[in-house]
Amino acid sequence: MGRSHLGEFEELVLLTVGVLYDDAYAVAITKEIASQSGRSVAVSAVHKSLYRLEEKGMLSSRLGESESKRGGKRKRLFNITPFGKKALDESMDLRMSLRNRISDLAFNWQRD
Amino acid sequence: MSHKIHIPKIPHAFFRWYCKSDRYEELHGDLEEFFYERVAESGPVKARLLYWRDVIRCCQPYAWKKPGFYSNSNIVMFKNYLKTSIRSMVRNPLSSFINVFGLAVAIGVCIVVYSMVRFSHSTDQFHEHKNEVFLTTFDADRDGRTSRYGFTPAPLGKALRQDFAQVKKMARVKDVPVVVKQDENVFHESIRLTDPDFLDMLTFPLKWGDKASLADPNSIVLSEPMATKYFGKEEPLGREILVKFGENEKKLFKVTGVAEAFPAAHAISFDFLINFENHHQAQSGFDATNWADFVGATLIQLDDAAAISMIQSGMDRYRELQNAVDSEWKISGFGFESIESLHRNSSGISRDISIDQADEILIGLPVMGIFMLALACFNYMNMAISSSTKRLKEIGVRKVIGASRGKVIFQFLAENILLTFFALLLGLVLTATVFMPWFSEIADAPLTLSLLDTNLWVFLVGILLLTGLVSGFYPALYISRFQVVKIFKGTVTFGKKNPIMKTFLGVQMVLAFVFITMAVMFKQNSDFQAKRPWGYNQNGVIYTAVPNPAGYDQLSAAMSQNPNVLSISGSGDHLGKSISSAVVGLADRSYDVQRMLVDPGYFETLGIPVASGAVFNSLPSGSNKVLVNELFVKSTLMDEPIGQLFKIDSVQYQIVGVVKDFHAFNFYYEVKPMVFQAASKADYRFMSMRVNPGSELKVYEDLKEHWATLFPETPFQGGEQVDLWAKFYQDLGQMKRFTRTVAFIAIMLAALGLYGLVTLNVSGRIKEFSIRKILGAGLMNIGRTISRQYLVLTVVAFLLGAPLAYIMNIGLVKMMFAYPLPHGQWSVALAFVLLVSVMMMVIATQIRRVSKSNPASGLRAE
Repeated sequence: MGRSHLGEFEELVLLTVGVLYDDAYAVAITKEIASQSGRSVAVSAVHKSLYRLEEKGMLSSRLGESESKRGGKRKRLFNITPFGKKALDESMDLRMSLRNRISDLAFNWQRD
Repeated sequence: MSHKIHIPKIPHAFFRWYCKSDRYEELHGDLEEFFYERVAESGPVKARLLYWRDVIRCCQPYAWKKPGFYSNSNIVMFKNYLKTSIRSMVRNPLSSFINVFGLAVAIGVCIVVYSMVRFSHSTDQFHEHKNEVFLTTFDADRDGRTSRYGFTPAPLGKALRQDFAQVKKMARVKDVPVVVKQDENVFHESIRLTDPDFLDMLTFPLKWGDKASLADPNSIVLSEPMATKYFGKEEPLGREILVKFGENEKKLFKVTGVAEAFPAAHAISFDFLINFENHHQAQSGFDATNWADFVGATLIQLDDAAAISMIQSGMDRYRELQNAVDSEWKISGFGFESIESLHRNSSGISRDISIDQADEILIGLPVMGIFMLALACFNYMNMAISSSTKRLKEIGVRKVIGASRGKVIFQFLAENILLTFFALLLGLVLTATVFMPWFSEIADAPLTLSLLDTNLWVFLVGILLLTGLVSGFYPALYISRFQVVKIFKGTVTFGKKNPIMKTFLGVQMVLAFVFITMAVMFKQNSDFQAKRPWGYNQNGVIYTAVPNPAGYDQLSAAMSQNPNVLSISGSGDHLGKSISSAVVGLADRSYDVQRMLVDPGYFETLGIPVASGAVFNSLPSGSNKVLVNELFVKSTLMDEPIGQLFKIDSVQYQIVGVVKDFHAFNFYYEVKPMVFQAASKADYRFMSMRVNPGSELKVYEDLKEHWATLFPETPFQGGEQVDLWAKFYQDLGQMKRFTRTVAFIAIMLAALGLYGLVTLNVSGRIKEFSIRKILGAGLMNIGRTISRQYLVLTVVAFLLGAPLAYIMNIGLVKMMFAYPLPHGQWSVALAFVLLVSVMMMVIATQIRRVSKSNPASGLRAE
C-alpha cells in the first residue's frame, strides 16, 4: 500500500475539495457529499479524512476569514495539490482501465 | 438566526479539554456552524443533542492533544520532578526502600488503628432504639469495694414495668447451658430465655419467621449460624428441636424464626431464644418472683430517653425489697446504661451481657501508630537532608534556569508526597495481607477494610498530606535555601552545625529507643510467660466433660481398665474449662471467690501441690471441709488458716488445708482466691485422669472410643490438659513476631538516619580531618573527634527516652499480662545497649572512611 493509496471515502472527499474549489472547508464538504451521495455524513469523518490527506500531501490548506455564523471563528480552506491530482488521476485511471477490461460477456445476463 | 441560543457548556468544555489548541478554532468553528444552522432549522433541543453527538464523534486522535504539545509549563515541570524523583530513588535503592517501607508500616498500623477504632465505636450502634433501651445495673459492696454489676434481681423487670408508665417494653434475659439435639446433631449450647419484647427492643431482624412467635413458650428463634449448623441452608421454619435442660428435663421446640446474620460489630447477640416462661423447666430452683434470685440482664425501653432520671430516682424501694431477702448481695443502688453506651462502658460493669471494649488496644495501638508515623517522618527528614548533598548540582541548575525558591520547595514537597503515596499503596497492601489478619486475631474482632467507606478515603488522604507535608517541609526549606554561586563554587557549608537536624536525630533516637524497648520487653515477657509455671502439673492429664453422674461411673469403670491410667477423679468444675463462683462470708465482710467442686483425688490427679494441712475425705465425712489456695489466705488476712470457719450460702465450712496458688486460666487472667469443696457424685460434670507419661494419645483415643459406645448421642468434649493453652502460646508467639518486626524497622530507620547525618557531617569536615591527619592524628583521635557529639546526643536521647520508654511499655505490658515480668528496667538497659551498638557500628564506618582517605585529596578541593 503506497503513500498514494486512496480510501473510498478519502477519494470522495478529495474529489469534493476539487469541486468546491476555493471554498472547500469541512462543513461545505460534508454538505456536498451528503447531498450528492444521499448518505448521511458525519463532520468528524470528513475532518479525519481532510487531515489525513493533508498529511499525505494531497491537500494544502490555509485559514480563511472569520465569520459570524461560525461564532467568529476562522475556517480552514483546502486545495488540491499536484500530488493530490496525480493520486486522483491514478486512482481514476486504475478504475477506468479495469472497467474497460471487463468483457461485454460479463454483462450479458440473458445468455442462460 | 438567533444568537441567543448558546453552545451547550458541558460538551463545549469537554471539547476544549481534549482538543488540540491549534485546531480548536477551525474544528469548533465547524461544529458551531452546524449548531447554529440546526437551531434555525430544527430548534435548540435537537441542535443541542446533535452538538453533543458531534463533540463525542470528534473525540478522535486527529483532534487530541498530543504529549509533547503541552502548553502548560507546570505540567512539563511536574513531569520532570517525577522523573528526577524516581531517578534519585532508584539511585539509592536501599535507603529509599527503607524509607518507603518504614512509612508503609507506619501507615499500615495507622489504617489498622483506624479500622479498629471505627469497629469499636460502631459496635451495637445498629440498634434502632439504642438510645431508648437501657440495661439495668446495680452497685454492690464486694471484697471491700463497690462494683457495678450488669445482672439484676429476677422480679425487678416486671416491677419496673408495672410501677412506671414510662417503661414501654421490658425483657429479662437468662442464659442457661443446654444440650440441643436435632436428628443426628447433638451439641452443648447456651440458650437464652427472654421476654417476647427482646426482638422488638433490639434490632435483630428475622430472615425467616415472625418476631411475635416468641410469645409462644413452645417456639424457638435461632441465629443464622445456628440455623445453618442444625438445618443447613434450607428454611427450617416448623422443624423441631429437642432441648435437654438437665438430666430429666427435655422439651421439644418448634423453630418459628431465624435471625439475619448479625452485623460484625456486635457485642450483644444470641444463639437460641426461647420464651422466659420456660425457666420452670430450665432451672428448677429458680423463682422469678424472689428478690434473691437473679437474671442475666433486665432491659427496659422508654419512649423518651430523658425519663430515665425519673425512674432512677424511684429505684430505692426495690433496693429495700432486695436487701430484706438477700444478705449475700447487698445492693446499694441501681443504675441504667443505654445500649448506645453499653459496650463503651462495659469494662466498668461486671457480668453484663455486653463485651468489654478492648481499652488496651484502643489506647495502645493509636499511640503506637502515631509513634511509628513520627519515627518514619523524622527518618525521612534526616535522610532527605543528607541525600540532598548529592543533588546540590541539580538544585543549582534549576535555580540558574530560573526556578524560584518556591519552585524548589514545591518540587521537594511534591517528591515527598509521591514517596508517601508509594508508601501508602504498600501500606494498604501490607494492611490487607498482613496486619488485618494479625490484629483481627489479637483483638478477636473481624476487622475489614471496606473501600466503600468514605471516611477511610478521607483518612487516607489526610494521612498522605499530613505525612507528606510534615516530613517534607523542613527538608524542602533547608535544601532550597542554598545560594547558586556557593553551590557551584563548592563552598556550601552545611551539616556541620545544625541544631535542628541534631534535634531531629535526637527525636528519632528517642522514638527508636521506645520501640526497641518495647520489643525487648515483649520478648522477655513472652519468654517469661512461656516459662511461667502453671502451678500444677498439666502434663499427662486427660480430661473430659461427662453428660451425667451415671455416665461418669460408666466411663470411669471403662477407663480404669486401661493400664496407662494412673488415677481418675470426678469433679463438678475443671481447671481451664469451667469454674464457678461463690461468696464467702467471713466475720463482717464477704469475698468473691472462685469455687471448685472436686473429689479428694483431684489434687493428686491434676498435680496441685498441697502446701499445708490435708485433703478432705470423700463424702459424707468430708462435707463442710474445704481447701483454699494461698491467695485466699492472703486476701482474708488469716494468720493460721487451718481450722478457720466461714460461711457460704449460710452453710458453715472449715478449712482443712491450703494448696499452692495456680493458674486456672491463662496468664492474661489473675489468680483469684479459691475454695475447694468436696463434690458429691451428683455434682460430677468432669472426669480427669493422670496417665503414664507418653501414653496421652493412646489414652485419649481409648477414651474417645469408649465415649462413642457409651454416649452416642452426646458430643465428646475432652482433650489433653496442655492443649487448652495452645491458643494462648500461639497468640504470644504472634505478638512476639510483630513487635520484633516493628523494632527491627525502628532500628533500621534510626541507623539509616544516623548514617546519613554522620556521613554528611564527616563530608563537611573532610578538610579538618585531612589537616588533623597530616599533623599526625591517629585513628583514636579521629574516632574521638567524630563520635564526641554523637555521644552527647545519645546520652540526651537516653535521658529523655529511658523514662518515656519505661513508663509507656510497662503500662502496655501491664495491660496485656496479669503477671508481667518484674524488673522491667533491664529491658530498657538492654535496648540502650542495642541502640548504642548500632550507632557505634554506623560511626565506625565513617571513621574507617576517614582513616582510609588520602589527606591530599581532601585538601585539594580548591
